[in-house]
Amino acid sequence: MIANRGEIALRINRACRELGVATVAIFSEADRDSMHVRQADEAFCVGPGPAARSYLNIPNIISTALITGCDAVHPGYGFLAENARFAEICNDHGLTFIGPKPSVIAMMGDKATAKRLVREAGVATTPGSDVLASVEEAQAAAASIGYPVLLKATAGGGGRGMRVVHDAADLPRAYAGATAEAEASFKDGRVYLEKLIFAPRHIEVQVLGDEFGNLVHLGERDCSVQKPSHQKIVEETPAPNLASDTRAALHEMALRASRGVGYTNAGTLEFLVLGRDAYFMEMNTRIQVEHPVTEMVYNIDLVKEQIRIAAGEPLGYTQKDLVARGHAIECRINAEDPQNHFAPAAGTVSKVVFPGGPGIRVDTHLYAGATIPPYYDSMIAKVVAFGDTREIAIARMERALRETLIEGVNTTIALCLEILSTAEFREGRYDIELLLKEPSRS
Amino acid sequence: MSAHQAYVGIGTNLGDRIQNVERAFAAVGQLGTILRKSSIYRTKPWGNPRQPWFANAAVLVETELSPRALFNGLQAAEKNLGRTPIERWGPRVIDLDLLLYDDLEIDEPDLRVPHERLDERAFVLVPLAEIDARFETMRDALPAAELADVVPCAARSVGSLGESELPMFPQRGHSAGERVRVLARFLAESDAVRVRIERPNEEIEVVSRVRASSSSRSTGKEPAEKTAAPRIDTIKADLVGIFRASRPAPMEGDVFESDRELGYIEALGIRTPVHSMGSGRLVAVATADGSPVEYGQPLFLVARA
Repeated sequence: MIANRGEIALRINRACRELGVATVAIFSEADRDSMHVRQADEAFCVGPGPAARSYLNIPNIISTALITGCDAVHPGYGFLAENARFAEICNDHGLTFIGPKPSVIAMMGDKATAKRLVREAGVATTPGSDVLASVEEAQAAAASIGYPVLLKATAGGGGRGMRVVHDAADLPRAYAGATAEAEASFKDGRVYLEKLIFAPRHIEVQVLGDEFGNLVHLGERDCSVQKPSHQKIVEETPAPNLASDTRAALHEMALRASRGVGYTNAGTLEFLVLGRDAYFMEMNTRIQVEHPVTEMVYNIDLVKEQIRIAAGEPLGYTQKDLVARGHAIECRINAEDPQNHFAPAAGTVSKVVFPGGPGIRVDTHLYAGATIPPYYDSMIAKVVAFGDTREIAIARMERALRETLIEGVNTTIALCLEILSTAEFREGRYDIELLLKEPSRS
Repeated sequence: MSAHQAYVGIGTNLGDRIQNVERAFAAVGQLGTILRKSSIYRTKPWGNPRQPWFANAAVLVETELSPRALFNGLQAAEKNLGRTPIERWGPRVIDLDLLLYDDLEIDEPDLRVPHERLDERAFVLVPLAEIDARFETMRDALPAAELADVVPCAARSVGSLGESELPMFPQRGHSAGERVRVLARFLAESDAVRVRIERPNEEIEVVSRVRASSSSRSTGKEPAEKTAAPRIDTIKADLVGIFRASRPAPMEGDVFESDRELGYIEALGIRTPVHSMGSGRLVAVATADGSPVEYGQPLFLVARA
C-alpha cells in the first residue's frame, strides 16, 4: 500500500510496477481525481480533504491495508513517513513498514535524541538544547547557546515548525509559531533549539542499509538553495567546490552515525558545512524529495532498493561497487507565488507541458485539468537534469525549465531559472543565504 | 481506414454511478467519436432487491477500430474505470458492452455481436431506443413492468441542464436543509416531478408528491400549493472497513418508527454500528452486505417523514 499522495505516490507506484508488485492507493476526498488514484491497482478514500483526517488517519489507513490484503506499506515522505507509532502499528498488524525499525525512527525522529546518539557515535553536532517544555526553558537554553538560534520541531522536516530567532524578544512569538506549526504538521508540537550557524551549506548524505548489517552511502546532495522558510528548492549532486577530504569525512560520518544506531533501509543524514567543518544536524528516516539526483548519478532505483530491503533481501553490493558518474540537479516546481511570500496557490491547472529530451527526468502527478487542493504541500513537479559535467547539467536544466509550461497557477519556475542564472550558483559558491541576498547575475 | 458505427451499452451499480457513466462516456470517446448519447437511466436491479440501483446509458460511436480492437478497448476502459476498492469482491464498477457493430454478426467465445441480451433487457433497450428509433419496436415489446423499472435520472433529464445553468441549484455553501429547500423551489417553478442530485459527497432527491400523484387524476381541483417530498438522507460510511448488514437485512421500503441499527462496519477488530439516524423509510441499499467500504461511501438512503 502506498500511504501517500502526489508525485511520491506515483514514484512508489512506478517502482512497484517494475517489481511486479500490485498496489493499493489511499486518497482524500479532495484527491479523488488525482493521478495516483488512477495509477494504482486499487484505491480507497480514507477521509476528507484535511490531512489530519485522511493521510494522517492511521485507523482508516491500516484498515484499508488489511481489507485489501496488503503485505507492506510504503509511507513516502511527509505525513506518516517518520511516525514511529505508525510503523509499529503496521508491524503489529502484520504489515511490513518500508523503512527502518520503529525504534530507530523514534530515536532519530526525536531530533534532540538523535543528536545525542550521533554525538556518542563520534560525529560532531551543532550546539543545541534538548526538547523544550516551555518558553521559559527555551529562553534559558537560548541564552546559554547564544543568539541567533534556530527553533526546530523535534518531529519535523521540510522546514515546518522551524523559526530563526535573533534575540530574546523574538523568542515567545517564534516559540508559539513553531509549536503550533509542528503540532499541525506532525501532530507533535515539541521543539528544541540549535545554534544558528551563519551562512553554512546544507549538505546531506544518502545511506542504504540492509537487515544483514551491510551499509553503504550514495554520496552527498547539496541542498543549500532554500526558500526563506528553509524549504529546499534546488538540489544537486555532487556538492560543488567541496574539498575532497571534507566530502570523504561527510560520507564517513554518515556511515558511522548510521551504523551507531543500527540503521536499515534508506535514510539521509543532514549536515551543516562551514568551510571544512561539518556538523550533523538531523537524520531523515525515509526517502527524500530530492532522491532522484542520487539515482541519476548512481544509476540506482532507491525506491526499489527500499522495497527489496524491506522484503528481507541483502543489498548485494558493497561500497566499492558504487561509482557515481556525472552531475545531477533537481528543481522543485511548487504551485505558489514567489512574488507574494511563496503563498501557496490552489486551483485548476489548465495547460501543462513538461520538458523532455536528453538527460531530463520529470516526476510529477500533474495533468491538464488537475485541481491542486489547498490542503497539502504545494510541490507539483520535480525537474531533474543530468549531465557528464555540472555545466552540462545546468544548461539542460535551463532549457528544460524554459520548455515547461504550467498555466492556471503561479509556480516557482521563474525563480528556479533566476537561481540558476546567479553567479553564486553558476560558480558553485552558494550557501543557505542565497535566496535572502540580492541576486547577482552572471 | 473506414469508419464504422457501433453501439455501446453502459451499466454501473457501485459508487457514484452518475459520475461513473460520465467517465464511461469519456472513455468510449477515446475509442472513436461519439455521435449520440442517451440520457442516464436509473434501473431497479434484477432479482435481488437488496442490490443497489443501476445507472444505464447507451452511446453511438463512430470508430475506425475493428470489432475486436473496440472490444479490447472497452475491456481496458472497464478495468481502468473499475479501479476502486470494490472490484475484488463484487460486481464490476462499470460494464461496457459492445451491443452492435455496423450490421456485423460475430460469434466468438468471448465476443458476441449483436450482444446476446440485446433484445430482452429493458436497461439495454430503453437507452438504445432513445438514440436510435429502430429499436423502439423491440423496446415496446418488453413487459410494461420491466420498462417501468428504467426511469431517467431526473436531475439530468430535466431539459439536460447542467449545474451551472441552474442558478437556483444548491451551492456548496448551503446547508443540507437549504439545499433541499432550493431544490423544492426549483421543483415548484418547473414541470419536473422529481429532482435528483448526485455528487461525490451527496445525493439529494426531492419528489413533488402532489404532482406525482395528481398526474394520474384527470380532473378535480389542483391543490394550490405543491409540497416537496420528504428529505432523503444518505447514510455514509465514516470509516474504512467491511460493511455487514443487520439480520434480517434491511430492505428497500422498510419503515422504521425510531432509530434503527442497519448494520456495522468492521475495522481493526472493532464493530462500529451504522444507524438510520432516526425514523424514516429505507429508499435504497447502496452497499451490499460484506463489501469493503471506503470513507464517505453511501450505505443507505433514508427518506424522512
